[in-house]
Parts: sequence; C-alpha cells; structure tokens
Amino acid sequence: MRRGAWHQFGDRSQKLALEQLQNGIGVGVILSPRDLSYDNAKKYAAQYHALGAELVIDQQFYVPSFSNKNLESYPTSQYRVAASCLHQLTDAQLANLSRGLQEINKGVAANAIIAPAVVYEAGRPDIVALNAKLFSAARSVGDTLGVPTLATVVLGNSVTAADQTVQTALSQATALNADGWYFAFEFSSERVPAMRDRVLRCCVAGLALACTAKPVLHAFAGPMGLLSFGFGATGAGIGHSQNLWHFSRSRWGPSDGQGGGGDAPARFFSAALWGTIVHPDETAQLPQGVRNQVLTPSPYVSPWNRWQANKHLVHVICTTLSGVAAQANARVCAQSAVSILTQARTLHTAVAASGVALCDGTNTYQQNWLSAVGDLLTQRADEFAFLELL
Amino acid sequence: MPFVVHLSDAQKAYPEYRFVAALTPSEQKAAFHVRDAAGQDLCLKIISPIYDPQRLTREVQALQAIKHPNVAGFREYTFSSSPTCQRHHIVEEFISGQDLTAHLLPGQPWQRPKAHSFFASLCDGLDVLGINAIVHRDLKPSNIRVRADGSPVIIDLGLARHLTQADITNTSDGARIGTPLYFAPEQFQGTKHDIDHRTDLFAVGVMLYQSLVGEHPFWDGKSRASLSDRVCRSNDHLAAPGFMSLPDQWRLLTSKLLEKERVNRPRSASQVATILRKIGGV
Repeated sequence: MRRGAWHQFGDRSQKLALEQLQNGIGVGVILSPRDLSYDNAKKYAAQYHALGAELVIDQQFYVPSFSNKNLESYPTSQYRVAASCLHQLTDAQLANLSRGLQEINKGVAANAIIAPAVVYEAGRPDIVALNAKLFSAARSVGDTLGVPTLATVVLGNSVTAADQTVQTALSQATALNADGWYFAFEFSSERVPAMRDRVLRCCVAGLALACTAKPVLHAFAGPMGLLSFGFGATGAGIGHSQNLWHFSRSRWGPSDGQGGGGDAPARFFSAALWGTIVHPDETAQLPQGVRNQVLTPSPYVSPWNRWQANKHLVHVICTTLSGVAAQANARVCAQSAVSILTQARTLHTAVAASGVALCDGTNTYQQNWLSAVGDLLTQRADEFAFLELL
Repeated sequence: MPFVVHLSDAQKAYPEYRFVAALTPSEQKAAFHVRDAAGQDLCLKIISPIYDPQRLTREVQALQAIKHPNVAGFREYTFSSSPTCQRHHIVEEFISGQDLTAHLLPGQPWQRPKAHSFFASLCDGLDVLGINAIVHRDLKPSNIRVRADGSPVIIDLGLARHLTQADITNTSDGARIGTPLYFAPEQFQGTKHDIDHRTDLFAVGVMLYQSLVGEHPFWDGKSRASLSDRVCRSNDHLAAPGFMSLPDQWRLLTSKLLEKERVNRPRSASQVATILRKIGGV
C-alpha cells in the first residue's frame, strides 16, 4: 500500500480527486459505491490508475440494509440487507457474494480488496462471527486476484466508549488472516473529533493495528489524518465533505434534506491553524501579520468560492500529510504532528488576542489533540519501540 | 487423567515394532519410544478412545503437510478396526534428548545467546504451524524436545487443537497444575473462539521469561485460582529484578508476548523470530 494521503470519496468527488492527482497530490483513491455508480467507478478508476494512483473500493456494509441508486448498480446489491439476514447467508450465497466482490474489484482493478464488514459493537460476538464470514468471502477474492485483502475494522460508539472494549474488539478483529486493516473509529457527531480521551483511544487502537506489521489505512481521517501517521498508519483517507472527517453511520442513513450549508461563506482550511476559518469575513478582521500566517497558499485560492474551498482543503491537508508521512517512523511522525499542532495553538492564541472569535469554534480541538498525541508518545513508548523493531 | 497403556499390552498390539520405553502419557495418548524393522527410532502414540476419529483425521491431513526441523516429523496415522483388534495410533519422528522442562530450572537463567538461538528456532517451527492454520494450544516445556545440538522440536502438535474449552480448563489446582502454567488469559476466561496463534505466543512468552529470568512469571506456588488471577490481571512479573535487569529490547519483546490482550501481542511467530534475530544474542 502506498504511503501518504488517499482521496476518500464522497459525493461529487471524482473530478476533484482526478484534478488533485493530476497535480501530484495524493497517492491513492478510496472509491465509495454509495456515491458512484458501478459504470462510473470503472470509468474513473482507469483514469486514476493512469495517473499512478493506487485504488481500493470500500464495500460499505456499515449499515448493511442501506441502499440507493448507485449501490443498486453493483453486482453485490442483493446482499444489502439487514445484518440479521447476512448472518444467515448460506455457503452458496457467500460464494455468490464473493463472485460479486471479485467482479467489482476486478472491474476497477483494485490494488487491494477491502472486505465488507458491519460496524463492530461491544459485547456482540455475532458481529465478530459475521465479519469473519464476510472477510472469508473477500479473502478468496484477494487470493484469486493476487492482491492483498484488508479487513475492515470500524469500531462503533459502543466499542469506542471505553479502552477495554476497544482492546477486546481489536483482539477479535485481528484474529482475521488479513494483509492489512481498513480502520475507522466512530466519534460523536461533532464536526471534527475533539474529545481528548476518544482521540487518544483512536490513536492507541490504530497503533495496536500498526504493531501487527500490516498496513493500516485510516479511513475517514479528514483533518485528523495529521495524527494517522503518528499512530503508524500507512495511509489516511481525506475528503472534502465534513461527513468524511470522521466515521459516521449517518452517511448510510436516510438523507435529512438538501444540506450544503445554504449561503454560508466558504471556509478556508489553514495549515497553520490546522482548522478552518471563514474567508474572507473572518480573515479580513485579522491583523496583517496574523492574516499572512493564516492564509496558506494553494493553487485554488482564486477565485474564492465554495468549490475552490473544497479543493484547497484537500490540497492543503494532503500536502501536509505527505510531509508528515515522509518521516522516518511513527514516533517521528507523531512528533511532527505535535510540532504542527503546537504552532497552530500559538496562532490560534494570536487570532483570539486580535479579538476575532471564530464562529465555527475550530480552535477547540488542537489542544486536545496535542494532549492526546503527547500521551500516546509517553504512555505507548513501548509500542513505538516495538514498531521500530519490526 | 493420563491415558495409560502398559508397555506389554502395547507390544502385543503392535508386534511390528520393538518397544524401547514408555514415554510420558497425556490425557489423549499413550506414547512410546519404538524401533521399526529397519532399526529406525520412532515415537508411537496410541490414541485414547475418547477421540473422534473423523476430527482427528482432518487434523492429521494438515499435519502431514508440515516438514520442518523444529517440528516433529509426522510419519503415519492409522485407525483400523476389526472384530479382534482395533488400532488407532500416530507414528512420529523420535526426538532423542530431553524435553525443555529439564532445561528451565528455577534460579538458573540462560545466557542470552542461547535464549536467542533457541527461541528463534522455536518460533520458526511455530510459524510453520501458523501457516498451516494449526494452533498448538498446549505449548509447554514438556511438549518441546531439545535435540543434542540444543535446537528445539515441537511435539504433540495438533491434538490439543481438538480440546474443547471445558476440557482445557478442567485441570485442577495445586500440585496437579500442569498445562495451565502456560495458559494465556483467554484460555482462563475466554471462549474457544478467542484462541488463536497468539495464544501459543503467550506460552512462548512464559517460557522465554523463564529462560531469561530463571523463574515463572506468574506461578507463585499457591493455587490455580491465584495463577489465573495473576495471568489475567497482574503485571508484577515486569517488576521482578531479574526481568528489570534485562536489556531493553529483551524486556520489550518478552513483555509484548505476555500481554493480556491478544491484539497487543506480536502478530505471528515469524514476527517474533525476526525480532529475535534483529536483537541477536546481546
């Protein structure tokens, strides 16, 4: 698996990913069948491969009964049923699911198979058994196509609430004979994960997976991708939509309307703040020196509009992550994240001192992330040392 | 209770072999050092009638694929029944020498180069089992023979795989404590679904600790309940002076092998062997 930022697909992402890859931004693409028909997936996959990107397709069985027009276009659509029905799949049906997965992954020339899996929940051995069953269907595809098979390890809220439940779920998930891990951690519905303990727990979980010496693709990382390489991930999934900034099952639930934020001004993702700021409204209020620090350059700052803002965000996050991922090992990557977040805290302090209160409250999580990564480095020093031994 | 077959009865049942000596029996088999007509030394194991032949047959098919210097060579499995005679046995390579029990002596830690070489080879053998999807589940010093050149050989592999969890945990406490000395936490408190290759690695960790420190990490001479409690909850072994005095990398590897949660242990025996070879005998 290529190391660096992966474009995580959301709605209307295909051209954005294409443009970024043409500019050398990002090393891979994670396709989302929820957001892309099968025919389009094949069409764009060929273009991504032509640009040198690796590609995987997330089967998205997180809410297994969810379906939409795009999902219905895939040969596995008949298996988009309630988990209770998936439990009852016969060997023949499982073989048929496997054939469907093979057709899809072959169709997009996937570089690795992402096994379908439902979200792990605490105290649910039935889910462990179901995911093992689904993994076996994917494993046979990987073996047939000669590509690695990644087990999907998405830890649900009931798991992520406590350290012990995370450990138990990971012990169960890592019993699978996988070549790597497609990892996500469910957070509460905040815009960017901000709760220190949960962020630390996510990092500890990722580090445990990395210590298996198998690649970890941190899915739905978004801005938190800054921490991914510090816990040993090989790749981090980056997307422009806020609902790709942490794993949320609401993406696979009924739509709550048009969305899109109305006429709100475009947000500007600042690498220096490691967060967004309303631009130009808020940045205009800043003293010149602070504003210059806040305004991270990219090819997409002019003309400034919401779609440019999306491209700018992906560009800035991917570029920064590329620098972090190039560090020698996970410990140094974590230290890089600490350095970036420390500078972000300083700049947020300068912004606050200038009298500007960020309306999105995007200065709330950096300190918690700093604290979490600091604790990761000290409390998990043995794991970092172990990773360095591998 | 061990499954005991008297030497004379065994000799009558298997006249084609010359029975040299009875070996330590287990609950599942009576074992003998035998010599075949060609003069080759072998280990013949008569299987207890409590075993399901079909399950054993499936397991044996997997074992037949394994050929490795650190795993006892499998030669033959026979189950036959006639009105006058029933034969149900396994023939394996006979490993002369002692088992590891004789080498892990209290208060006599090994030199690290010896530990490095021995456990790296042991993990090589264990890795072959892992590749063949076999979990030993009963790895312990008495199931590891030490050849004259000091290299380890895993014996009795596979049979323990058929144990149900209830069977595994039925061993009583006190002086009769045997296998539980090498149990992982999931063997004390989990279900059979929680047992995988990392369960065997915990046992490797216990033996590695014994070899390096000269004492068992969890056994305090009291009871099975106390042992279980220490295996599942205590990290006192990490503060033992003999352990604390080890070089960092040895402490790190040993403590990782002895992690309570499987996810925090090394992923495979191959990983452990690789690390041991990186550390070297320093």
